[in-house]
Amino acid sequence: MSKIKVIPCSGIGKVFGLLARESALMVTQEKCPDDTETLCLAHVVTGDNEVVEKIKGETCITMDGCAKYCSKKSVEETGGIVVKSHKVPDFMKAHRGEEHGTGTYLTEDGWKYAEELAEIMVEEVKEIKAGVN
Amino acid sequence: MILDKIGIISCSGEECLGGTISRLAVRKMMEELKPGMVSTLCLPLFIAGDGGEREFAEKYPTIAVDGCSKCCAKRAIEKYSNKVAGSVDVAEIIGAEIALEKPLSTRNLTTEHMEYVKKTADKTCEIFDEILAKSV
Repeated sequence: MSKIKVIPCSGIGKVFGLLARESALMVTQEKCPDDTETLCLAHVVTGDNEVVEKIKGETCITMDGCAKYCSKKSVEETGGIVVKSHKVPDFMKAHRGEEHGTGTYLTEDGWKYAEELAEIMVEEVKEIKAGVN
Repeated sequence: MILDKIGIISCSGEECLGGTISRLAVRKMMEELKPGMVSTLCLPLFIAGDGGEREFAEKYPTIAVDGCSKCCAKRAIEKYSNKVAGSVDVAEIIGAEIALEKPLSTRNLTTEHMEYVKKTADKTCEIFDEILAKSV
């Protein structure tokens, strides 16, 4: 099985995009580097041939920063199979009142939240791998 | 026409350092160098959006800030909206080899990386000021 693609939206306007980006980097670089990788969403949306070939028919997890679901929609349109799709604000309930930072930086609470988002995806990676092997 | 805002769109690419630098340079423009004068939009939303996002570069003269020589932001703006008013390629500023290094978490940024951000933001600022001067 090829590596699971973890693709965040990296939205630039608000902290949610940065939370999506940082959580995806935690999964692909620190927590599951052997089982996951990320792809450049800009390449996906512009239809870069190399990336389109990498994503077509492949298992993907997306993490979006807002309800526009740019990552999920773009990956699906490119032929990726989105088995898990998330939106950062969906997990906010337990974090009400916390300040997570901005689109530029995360606060201590922001990093904790990114870590939590990453752990959600790590569990999903394990489930996906268990289902295949 | 005197402009009240200039658009800047970064690629924010996730596969290389250049994407991280492009994103942070635009944020630096928004927060430090030209606060209140920059209008931005996520590149994926610009392309996939259904709420008139593609009119962005028609409303504002727009600068593309790209992390690598594929220039996704510039190509997308020109394909879907309008000719860019200017473009910045991070790879040309910091070198292609460095720009293609692994993407970085913001918690792992060094002073060297922040210098790359500054250089990219300064170049963007230069283009920004030229556009502004022409509009007066």
